[in-house]
Amino acid sequence: MTATVAPVRPSRDIDGTPRAGGRSQWLAGSIFVGPALLLFVIFVLGPFIAAIVLSLFSWDMLTPATFSGLKNFKAMLSDDLLYKALGNTFVFALASVVTHLIGGLLLALGVDALRSRAASYFVRTSLFFPFVISWAAVALLWKYVLDPTFGMGTYYLTKIGFNPPDWFTDPSWALPAIIGIDWWHTIGFTFVIMLAGLQTVPGQLIEAARVDGCGWWQRLWHVIIPMMSPTIFFAAVITFIGAFQIFDPVQIITPNGGPENSTLTIVMYLYQKGFQAFQVGYASSVAILVFVIMAIVTALQFWFARRWVHQS
Amino acid sequence: MTGRQLGRIALTLVLVVLGLIMLAPLIWLISESLTKESDAFDLPPNWIPHPFTWANFRGITDLIPFWRMALNSLIVAVISTAGSILVSLLAAYGFSRLRFAGRERIFSLLLVALMVPVQMTIIPIFILMRNLGLVDHLAALWLPALINVFSIFFFRQYFNTIPRDLDEAATLDGAGHGWILFRMLVPLSGPAIAAMTILSFEAAWNNYFGPLIFLSDPQKMTLPIGLVTLQAGQGGSSVVVFAAITAVVVPVLVVFLVFQRAFVASVASAGLRG
Repeated sequence: MTATVAPVRPSRDIDGTPRAGGRSQWLAGSIFVGPALLLFVIFVLGPFIAAIVLSLFSWDMLTPATFSGLKNFKAMLSDDLLYKALGNTFVFALASVVTHLIGGLLLALGVDALRSRAASYFVRTSLFFPFVISWAAVALLWKYVLDPTFGMGTYYLTKIGFNPPDWFTDPSWALPAIIGIDWWHTIGFTFVIMLAGLQTVPGQLIEAARVDGCGWWQRLWHVIIPMMSPTIFFAAVITFIGAFQIFDPVQIITPNGGPENSTLTIVMYLYQKGFQAFQVGYASSVAILVFVIMAIVTALQFWFARRWVHQS
Repeated sequence: MTGRQLGRIALTLVLVVLGLIMLAPLIWLISESLTKESDAFDLPPNWIPHPFTWANFRGITDLIPFWRMALNSLIVAVISTAGSILVSLLAAYGFSRLRFAGRERIFSLLLVALMVPVQMTIIPIFILMRNLGLVDHLAALWLPALINVFSIFFFRQYFNTIPRDLDEAATLDGAGHGWILFRMLVPLSGPAIAAMTILSFEAAWNNYFGPLIFLSDPQKMTLPIGLVTLQAGQGGSSVVVFAAITAVVVPVLVVFLVFQRAFVASVASAGLRG
């Protein structure tokens, strides 16, 4: 932090070093960064700290809050519904990551190999369409599509010889159905990211592998996937984090957690505790749990990434 | 015909059929919304409505204040998008071009916030809004959206790719920071700004969690919640719900078709740079 070496050029970055003219830089800095920083403190940092403090209290938002120490966290340990919600959320998030990565990669490879411009445009657009629609519309639409009596989806599933269950009232089918709907809604996002990643793989490299006699599978496994590993890794992190916070479709399709709480997710549970049961302290400790799990998963993913992501 | 050509045709067919399957629920939605009530829900489905009817759309406004909700959605989306882009551009300029004490530390602090889920901060923000008397006001939705750490990060990355020699030349000509940002960097950052505009607008327009928590007055409500309350069946028939979903979805699809290139680029670049 000592400014013993004078910067060669005035525009060079030196972290936080007060220099000649530092006062005017500081003034300009506060004008430019100030609004963002103020909003950040009010709407992110402050609430973040407040959530940690709230988790140490019992409060129903009406009567005065009472300090309860770690009672909320202790209560979490024996809360079966919390475990149920966590389990459902992990199942949903893992299934999401696996189906998105495989589906997104295969679709990107397929569309990339299309020679017809019209077909390529059509496929790209139809894959991406659902992603721009709000979850509220998607959830309602699919509730109708899968309706047991008049649903278009139910009808065609029966036609091809599959006897569909009553998805949202059957405890073993409600969560898989929502996983499927989520795939339909969000695959366009993963697909576009995979397609962008695929286009960064040098064509000569794939061609060279082909000339050396590598088949499609070998080119995929030994050239394309290693070269795309940063993209695949990014898509995995983003998908997991998004899926872990899933709320909109489960809340809209199965408002009370579905049959036997089979679709109760952790954020839905947080919402129930905080905004329906008004157990603000307990809901805050659930929020902290969500944050800690996301931080651990992100850290783990970065740790794995160092071991297998190809660095160019 | 060689095997390779056959394979290519098969691949095209498989993908086109898959595209049609992806579109099927949307096509069904639109047809049902244009089918008269007695014919709706025929099986097999009526893919082409016969006869066409607009009657279902007229029923929407009897059930929810549709236009009021659409206007509310628009107000929230426009203010959050324009506001967050301005705040982010200013901050990104600060982090990319200015040198002030603690700059890197403040920036790292902001980045950590990318990991904080909305759900963690929502209860304290709700309490804050309640104390400010902003519950049931649209401001409760757009105020917190003004800070968008991802777009600050994104703009800073973009600015860093623009040579600083340009700033120095402008400074020598007597330009101030405001001029450099708005007359030089902003015009050079068109694609980045388009990408963030699209992503923020989409997020605000489709937001369900925020209005669910902050709003209860139907006159203040935004479209996503309006749709979901329709489903609860307030005496309206299912075809009206179909018409309402269509009325919400079709404009979004049209906007998407028009701006498709920018839209897809915004997602792709978010992926590559993020």
